[in-house]
Amino acid sequence: MSTTAAQKFLQDAAVKSADLMHREVIRRGMESYDAAHLKGRARINDWEAARQKCQEIKREAINHLDRYLLQFEEKITARGGHVFWAANSEEACTYVKDLATRRGVRTVVKSKSMVTEEIHLGPALEKAGIKVWETDFGEFIVQLREEGPYHIVTPAMHLLRGQIATLFQEKLGQKIESDDPAYLMAVARRVLRQAFFSAEMGISGANFLVADAGVIAISTNEGNGRLCTSVPRIHVVVTGIEKVIPRLEDLAVLWPVLATSGTGQGITTYGTLIGGPRRPSEADGPEEFHVVLVDNGRSQLLADAEQREVLHCIRCGACLNICPVFRHVGGHTYGTTYPGPIGSVLTPHLNGIKEFKHLSYASSLCGACTSVCPVKIDLHHHLLQNRRNATEAGATKSSERLMFRAWRNAMLHPSIYALGGWSMRKALRIVYGLGLAGSILDPMRVWNRYRSPVPLPSESFRARWRKDRAAN
Amino acid sequence: MPQTKETQTEKAQTENPSRDQILQRIRAGLRTAVLEPAATASDRIIFAPIDNPLERFQHECVSNLMECALTADSAASARRLAEVLQSLPEGEIFAQDDPSLRRLVELAAPGRSIRWSSQGAPAEASQATVTLAEALIAQTGSILVTASCGGRGASVIAPCHIVYAKIAQLVPDLATALSRISQERILDHNSFACVISGSSRTADIEKILVQGAHGPRRLVVILQTGT
Repeated sequence: MSTTAAQKFLQDAAVKSADLMHREVIRRGMESYDAAHLKGRARINDWEAARQKCQEIKREAINHLDRYLLQFEEKITARGGHVFWAANSEEACTYVKDLATRRGVRTVVKSKSMVTEEIHLGPALEKAGIKVWETDFGEFIVQLREEGPYHIVTPAMHLLRGQIATLFQEKLGQKIESDDPAYLMAVARRVLRQAFFSAEMGISGANFLVADAGVIAISTNEGNGRLCTSVPRIHVVVTGIEKVIPRLEDLAVLWPVLATSGTGQGITTYGTLIGGPRRPSEADGPEEFHVVLVDNGRSQLLADAEQREVLHCIRCGACLNICPVFRHVGGHTYGTTYPGPIGSVLTPHLNGIKEFKHLSYASSLCGACTSVCPVKIDLHHHLLQNRRNATEAGATKSSERLMFRAWRNAMLHPSIYALGGWSMRKALRIVYGLGLAGSILDPMRVWNRYRSPVPLPSESFRARWRKDRAAN
Repeated sequence: MPQTKETQTEKAQTENPSRDQILQRIRAGLRTAVLEPAATASDRIIFAPIDNPLERFQHECVSNLMECALTADSAASARRLAEVLQSLPEGEIFAQDDPSLRRLVELAAPGRSIRWSSQGAPAEASQATVTLAEALIAQTGSILVTASCGGRGASVIAPCHIVYAKIAQLVPDLATALSRISQERILDHNSFACVISGSSRTADIEKILVQGAHGPRRLVVILQTGT
C-alpha cells in the first residue's frame, strides 16, 4: 500500500521535529535571519507603508494581468526576443527541451528559479541527455545531494559546513582541505566557472516582469545569475505569469522590500534588467532570448474571490522563516516545491486539494506569516479557507464527518454533552490508571504520545460553576 | 544581422498554441468580483529623504563591502586607478572603449595588456574590468550600469570591477535612477541594465557571509569630484 502525501508528511514531521541536530541548525540559521531582517526593516522609514505600497502594486498588476502581460510580450518581441506561453509544466519543458535540441545544446547553466523546480525542468533536460548545472551555491549543493531545495531562498540551509565539505570530496573528485565556507565557495566557483564558459544555454527565473519597460528583473547576490544571462549563446527565462508588475519605477519599493524580507539586506547585490538578446552594437550577451510564461494553474486562482491575492507572492521566504511549524518540521517535510505557509496555501491550488489539504492543518493559525508578508497576503485565513474548501469538496474521511456530526449533536443537546464528558472522564481515569496513557488504547493518544497527560478534573466544569455560584 | 532576422521569422511561424487559451482563462478569472480595500499608501513617506547624497553613498558603500575613493581631478583618478591595478596580479585588463577611459587607462597602466570592449567580451581570465557607470545611487550605495558600459560581462566576469564616475552622476535614490531609465528610454537602447550594490557574495552555508562568489570580490568606485 502506498502512503499518501498526508501520511508521509506526518511521518517525516515526527522524525524531523525530534531531530535535535536539525533543530539546532535551523535555530541558528533563523536567529541570524531574524536579526538581519529586523535591522533591515528599521532602515525603512515606514515599513507598513512599504508593505501597503507593494500590495497595491501587485494588486494593480494581477487585476489587469492580461493587459500587462501583452504589453510585456509586445516589447520583448519587438526587440527580437521570443515569448512562449505554457499552459502547464509539460508544455514549458517541451519548449525548452526542443529549443535546446534544435540548437545542439549539450550543457545548460541554471540560476535559481523556483518555477523550474515546480515544472521539473532540470530532470526533463537531463533525460534528453543535456547536462544541467545548478549554479546558485545552495542549489549546487542540493543538486549534488540529489534532493530538492530545503528553502525557497536558501536551499541548503539545513546543512552544516562539514557535511558540505564531505559532499564535495565525494562528488567533485577532488581533495577538500577545509570546511571554511569561503574555501568551499571558491571550490564551487572553480568548478562552475568551466560550466559557465562551456554552456550553450543559460536558464534563469525572473523576480519581476516589468510591463512598461518590457524587461525581466532578476535579484541575485552571487553573480551566477549574471553569468548565466551574459555568457552562453542562448538565454531562456522560465517564470510564472503572476510575476508581472506595471512600471519600472515600482522596483524602487519592490527591490528594497524583497531584499529586506528575503535576507535583511537593504538591496540585493545585483538587480538585473534584461529586455532582449544582445544588440548589434553591444560587446557581448546572448544571441537568443526566450521568455517562457508558465500558467500551470495560476489563472484558475484569479477566479477565486477570496484567494486571488495569493498571486501577489514575491517568493521572499519571510513566511517560511517566521513559521513555528516550518522551524520544527523543516522544508523537505512538506513534500512540495513551495514549503511553509505560502506553500501550504498554494500547493492545493496547483496540485489538488484532495491530496494536499493536510497542509492547511500544518498551522497553528497563529498568523505570524500574515504579519510579515511584504505584500500583505492574508495567509492564515487562506489556510482556514482551504480547510473549508476541502470539507465542502467532500475531501474529508467519513469517520471525520461522523465525529463532527456527533460533536454537533452534543453541542446542541446539553444532556448528551454532559453524558459524553462524564463517560470520557471515567474512561480516561481507567486508561491512565492502567498506565496506558499514550498507548493505542488511549483516546487522547495524539496528545499523550509525546506529552504527559493533563490531570483529569474530578467533576465537570458545569458542576463546578454551579457550586461556586452557590457558595458566593 | 541577417541571422537574427531569420530566427525572428522562424518564431513567427512557431506554434504558441496555449497563448489564447491562457489569455481567455485570465480574462474569465478577472471577471470574478473581488472585495478590496481602497489604496492608502500614497501620502506616506516610505524611505527617509536623503539630505547629503555623497555622505549617504559613502556610508552605503561600506555596508555593501565596496570601496569608494574620492578624487579631485582626472590626474588623481588616474593615480588611484594605477594603485588599484598595481595591487592586482599580472594579466589582461578589460576596459570599456570610451575616450575618457582610454585616456585614463593609458595613463594609469602603460604597457599593461588591455582588451577594449570594442574587441568583444572580456576574457574569462581577465584580472580586472574598468568601466563607466550610467549613474550612482546614494540611497543604496549602488552603481547603475548598462550594456553601453562595456557590455554585460564587464561588471561580473573579473575578480575586480573598477568604476570611474563623476560626482554629477550621483542621484539621491532608486526612484530617481529608475525614472531616469524610463524617461531616457535607456532600456530601448540597451538589452541590459543592472543596479549593482557591492561585491558578489553568498551566505548559503550556515548563513555565514562570504565576499566574492561568482562575480567580483572587489568593487572599486573612483568618484571624481572635480574636472
